Amino acid sequence: MALARRARPRSPISVPSGVGVLVMRGSAQRTHLAVLVATLALACRAGSRPAPGGGLRVVDDAGRTVALAGPARRIVSLSPAITELVFALGAGERLVGRTTWCDYPPAARAVPSVGDGLNPSVEAVAARRPDLVVLYRSTLDAAAARAFERLGIPAIVLRQDRLADLARAAALLGRLTGRARAGDSLAAALAAVGARPGPPLGVRLAFVTWDNPPVVIGGGSYLDELAALAGATNVFHDLPAASAAVGLETLAARDPDVIAVLGDSGAAELPPFARRPEWQAIRAVRARRFVVLPGSLFGRPSPRAALAAAELRRLLAAVPR
Amino acid sequence: MDGGLILEVRDVAYRYPGAAADALAGASLAVRAGEVHAVLGPNGSGKTTLLRVALGLVRPRAGTAAILGRPAARWPRRALARVVGVVPQREDNLFPQRVRDTVLLGRYARLSLWGAERPDDYAAVQRALERCDVAALADRWLWTLSGGEYQRVRVARALAQEPRLLVLDEPTASVDLRHEMELFELVRGLADRDGLAVVVVTHHVNLAARFADCVLLLAGGRPAGAGTPAEVLVRDTVERVFAWPVAVVPFDGRPQVIPLRQRKETP
Amino acid sequence: MKWLGLAAAAMAALALAVALGPTHVPLGALPTSDIVRTLRLPRAVLAFGVGGSLALAGAGLQALVRNPLADPYLLGLSGGAGLGAVLGIALHLASPWALPLAAFGGGLAAMALVYRLALLGGGALDPRVLILAGVAVGAFAAAVTTAVVSLSEPAELRNALLWLWGGLSGASWDTVLVFCAYAPLPAAVLLAAARPLDLLALGEEPARHLGVEVEPWKRRVYFAASLLTAAAVAVSGVIGFVGLVVPHAMRALWGHRHRPLLPAAFLAGGTLLVLADTVARVAVAPRELPVGIVTALVGVPVFALLLRRWTAG
Repeated sequence: MALARRARPRSPISVPSGVGVLVMRGSAQRTHLAVLVATLALACRAGSRPAPGGGLRVVDDAGRTVALAGPARRIVSLSPAITELVFALGAGERLVGRTTWCDYPPAARAVPSVGDGLNPSVEAVAARRPDLVVLYRSTLDAAAARAFERLGIPAIVLRQDRLADLARAAALLGRLTGRARAGDSLAAALAAVGARPGPPLGVRLAFVTWDNPPVVIGGGSYLDELAALAGATNVFHDLPAASAAVGLETLAARDPDVIAVLGDSGAAELPPFARRPEWQAIRAVRARRFVVLPGSLFGRPSPRAALAAAELRRLLAAVPR
Repeated sequence: MDGGLILEVRDVAYRYPGAAADALAGASLAVRAGEVHAVLGPNGSGKTTLLRVALGLVRPRAGTAAILGRPAARWPRRALARVVGVVPQREDNLFPQRVRDTVLLGRYARLSLWGAERPDDYAAVQRALERCDVAALADRWLWTLSGGEYQRVRVARALAQEPRLLVLDEPTASVDLRHEMELFELVRGLADRDGLAVVVVTHHVNLAARFADCVLLLAGGRPAGAGTPAEVLVRDTVERVFAWPVAVVPFDGRPQVIPLRQRKETP
Repeated sequence: MKWLGLAAAAMAALALAVALGPTHVPLGALPTSDIVRTLRLPRAVLAFGVGGSLALAGAGLQALVRNPLADPYLLGLSGGAGLGAVLGIALHLASPWALPLAAFGGGLAAMALVYRLALLGGGALDPRVLILAGVAVGAFAAAVTTAVVSLSEPAELRNALLWLWGGLSGASWDTVLVFCAYAPLPAAVLLAAARPLDLLALGEEPARHLGVEVEPWKRRVYFAASLLTAAAVAVSGVIGFVGLVVPHAMRALWGHRHRPLLPAAFLAGGTLLVLADTVARVAVAPRELPVGIVTALVGVPVFALLLRRWTAG
């Protein structure tokens, strides 16, 4: 039987490409701590300084130093969050490649797709003749980044799991595209959003992404941040992992007021597990107190976090008591 | 129906699917209670095929095979096992087992699907063990037995079925002289004392001649001789069938076949 | 007496499963607790039934294919069930029973395919051909499953893999009822096959001469073991090692006769899975381990011990 492979410790809810990576269990706490330390260490280093002669040199989230001769003109983004950021920086016309999962903003769909982001097709990316490739920080990025290096294409790896990561990414991308001011202000905006939890709604919430076994979102994740921003409490905030399988008993005991599930936009129906007999032990299921979060907005960390938090707050407030 | 006729095979012919020629043709066998019949012949002469036809495992192309008057192929397995005990040539026991347990397996055909073994069954097992002179080995593991002892245990298992006909297929392969004699004496005793009908397929021409009432000699699937050992085992016939010069010498009232050396003796 | 010990172990395991859990329920409150009645109790009962079924099917299959390394999944059932489940998820089947039914259907398809392939070698069900066909079908199903997973929306299918690893989260009294209405028939067939299996251990020819209808019994054992396994996988994913190790452990205590061995394997398999599920639920509370991991972690050392006994003895 296959053994669990170590996933990146704080994974977004929806991994933007087709990889059967299994959620890591156990040792999440240790990894979380290690990551925290590493992040703080990197935060001191990851920045950029203009190299002599007008070139740019940055250190990315994987500790790699990447040098560009000038602002990037042909960018391939291998993550939906980066695609959104690039457009938000006003540099959307410089995007020459995106993943199949990059669907926002609508203008992004006009950009040719190069396939998966997590396990990218190096050929497809190279065919776009980019001068910068932006990768998502995961266990697979090292191999891909090396492949691009060998082809002489600058590749940077950015962590994109939480708002703080996105803020940093915005600033970095701003410098790399020569739109430093836009980048810095976007970074500041994102940081500000993240720093300001919304007024308490008095709602206790659980995000359930799978039913058998029940998989919930824990404190290490973007959705957990959104819950705080919306003024709600994630009953599994104490779990360090981004997502974890828990027992139904635990879910019943923690007794959330509302259960949030990810779904297609517009789908207002009950999730399938709502009708299963063993789930009726949970009060929120019995009372049918669900919110369905559109995957395009909530499925991954996004610069539209403020919008997402507001939408979440609205949906939660709309659930009848 | 002849009262004592247990097995009657008449003029059977059988061809394996896809074979060019008959593996067996015109063979007959009539075995009565208390008789020991030996089926002899070189390799490939159809002895095993004859057994298969006689026991209803395959249907003959021509001729009939009947057990207790009923066509062999029509006997359900379980019912047949209550009448015929077979000691096949090969057995491949997967698990370590004690002698008593392996003999107990012989009671299968007399047990009901869910029912447990009854005192009758254990008594039958004990009798079979004693008849085969292996009662002293009853609690031993099979893998500790010698070849001859193991063979007698297998005969005991067949006896535990309480059959009327006992069939042994090459029982003395890989068994030493003493155990060969013990086995044939046992078999003879079963026929004489207990009225069992016995069919032995064997390579051992001389032992068959000593112990059997009737002999069927097969060559190329066809009978080369059928009758008493003295009638069948004459020099010309034996030389023709086995393709080797022999001398036939009487011993104890029975013919014994002595193969001759081909090369001249060196002076 | 051994049977009393086994029964006591089973009772103790069930008691532990009801009393222990990620949330603390005081002993006095157990009978009236909602959590216990709707979640823990059906889950314990289902675990017992599934574990027992897997061990029973494993013992039967080991005898059928004359191979002590056989387990219920050798014949491609887990591959087929996994493929059924993954397809069910990929097709967004809406019903809450979609996943178990899809897995069951996949298992049955694998069973039928393996049977058909095994007959290619002639009319009889040759154990060696059966094993080869099972491995081939299992590998094929696994390959198709991987292809489906790699081409689809990753979040859903990652979770499908979690399901495949085995878990009793879906246990409810409804599931227990369905399983208990269905499982006794193939289980009874296997128990009835105890003596024929003893005789088959001598070889097919000797068994035939001793009165066993060899081909019909082989078919019955094959289908009964496969149906039991498919049902177990449908409700609880692929839980390994129970079907492989428990029969061997029971043989060490009860010998090879299947009449005592099969029921003992059922009881021991049930006990083992109930204990493993309890560990899965409380070891890393509030999180849950997939129970298949626990059975593997327990099963491998036990297997190593058994191997030492064999090679030493």
